[in-house]
Amino acid sequence: MRAALDRIYDAAGYLAAFFVFAIFAVMIGGTALRELGLRSGGSDDIVAWFCAAAAFLAMAHTFRRGDFVRVMLGLERLGPVARRRMELLCLLVMVAFTGFLAVAAIRFVYESYALNDMANGLIAIPLWIPQSSFVVGALLLLVAVVDELATVLRGGTPAYIVAVEERHARGDFSEDL
Amino acid sequence: MTLIGIGALLLAVMLALLAAGVWIAVSLAITGGIGMALFTSLPLDVTAKNLFTSFWGANASWELAALPLFIWMGEILFRTRLSEQMFTGLAPWLNRIPGRLMHTTILGCGIFGSVSGSSAATCATISKVALPELLKRGYDERVALGSLATAGTLGILIPPSITMVVYAVAAEASIIRIFLAGFFPGFLLMFLFSGYIAWWAWRHPDRTPPPDPPTTFAQKIKASGELIPCGLLILFIVVALVKGWATATECAAYGVLGSLALAWWGKSLTWKNFIDSLMGATRVSCMIMFILAGAKFLSMTMGYTGIPRALAEWVDSLHLAPYTLIAVLALIYIVLGTALDGISMIVLTATVVLPMIQKAGFDLIWFGIFIVMLVEIAEVTPPVGFNLFVLQNMTGRDSNEIALASLPFFAMLVVAIAIITVFPDLVTWLPDYVMGVEK
Repeated sequence: MRAALDRIYDAAGYLAAFFVFAIFAVMIGGTALRELGLRSGGSDDIVAWFCAAAAFLAMAHTFRRGDFVRVMLGLERLGPVARRRMELLCLLVMVAFTGFLAVAAIRFVYESYALNDMANGLIAIPLWIPQSSFVVGALLLLVAVVDELATVLRGGTPAYIVAVEERHARGDFSEDL
Repeated sequence: MTLIGIGALLLAVMLALLAAGVWIAVSLAITGGIGMALFTSLPLDVTAKNLFTSFWGANASWELAALPLFIWMGEILFRTRLSEQMFTGLAPWLNRIPGRLMHTTILGCGIFGSVSGSSAATCATISKVALPELLKRGYDERVALGSLATAGTLGILIPPSITMVVYAVAAEASIIRIFLAGFFPGFLLMFLFSGYIAWWAWRHPDRTPPPDPPTTFAQKIKASGELIPCGLLILFIVVALVKGWATATECAAYGVLGSLALAWWGKSLTWKNFIDSLMGATRVSCMIMFILAGAKFLSMTMGYTGIPRALAEWVDSLHLAPYTLIAVLALIYIVLGTALDGISMIVLTATVVLPMIQKAGFDLIWFGIFIVMLVEIAEVTPPVGFNLFVLQNMTGRDSNEIALASLPFFAMLVVAIAIITVFPDLVTWLPDYVMGVEK
């Protein structure tokens, strides 16, 4: 179960990275086509959709790696018992929010599918196709958050704390801005 | 309840969520949700629809696509030998200036800042080589730490800059315009930092070690030869921006291409480095876009309630002198910056502060540079300052000690902010010259 979940989060993360690479490829390809005098219309829409896919699909992976920023000052001052309670509270807030987000994503992407909304740019495809990255990403994030909640309830340390501590111990700050 | 009262209540909710340690993006979105539920009569379904629209709209953005690419570019270069080349290439030229090799920190960060858009990455990349080399030669550790911590922040002032992309998206301003606006303030800041180092060295001649053995001109050129590829990359980005050949996103894509070529040339383009840099960039941009999405939902609520407009009118009715308003804002941002990272700080305040600023007659591009410089200060103010963490980790020194060492450079930043406030043309001249005056 553990291994399977981890693999799913990471797979979505890699897929998101692929979309970042795809943005790069489409941009380069688009300018090359323009230089050759061919039309590269529609590439703006594709880039925007890829950008959304990269952001949504990476959410669960990013959350677990501790890259979502939060203010740690208060938490770090607490004793272990109080800290665990606060961590639980934060995760409960997170479950409530991501749950609502996932429901909203499913509800409105389904609506867009049912009403057959079309993209109004140069590439007229049904909008639910690019929007499905939102549904998948939001659902995965919800699963990842519940996963962490279960870890903390069982008395463990959440993955997002462990990952950051390990990274900083290695002297790797490339992911802090 | 008056609008200002509602605003104060929402602010209290948001601060409570943030202080409790709830993730910043979610704190913003929840505050927005509470505002929508309590102070508008919208049904829950419409709130959900608004949440959906703001998350989709924030992320499915062509403008924002520049963000992951600029981050990726920095991540690639971070994994090359660029920092060593920078030190060996710059050192021979600086032997005779007061302060000698200490200036490699400023120049190195300035040059790396023009290929990287992140402050912590610039600080880490330059410190990695410059710090041990300087200490080995007996340079003063305090000044070295202070200058590296603060000069690292040039990464976000000299374009490309991740912080500027975020500001431009939040303020709906042109990314290229604000990039161009960053050049002169960046040079000004480098000049002030180097000036301080020279002044310090002149006051403390006993604490500057003897120069390295002299080198001939030919040797100097040879040592700097390794900097040529990086120089070409910078030149390309600057020219592409100034000539308007490419949009910001295209510029970022070619920057990535150039960085990949540079890494390949320097034999550091392994499959592992490629994947690591791409994954790192994906995560960092996901984090930023998550905050932007949460903030977009919050600003939608703000729009419904009309709080920013009311606040802007209230500030306007105080008839503050423009300099007073700027001084108050600077103070607020310095305080916020002690606990928040720069991106969150900008996104958090944009909805409320930008209408105020426009009403008071300030230029949005100018304000962007002003805020980026305040974010630079935030990077070196404890308890939360990423550049302090980077150097703490590299040297084992306490971050408060490093913050103290940065104080003189911090003062230079404040001086630079004062200069651009008094002479706003320093910021707006280049974008206006290149792109024409904005109507």
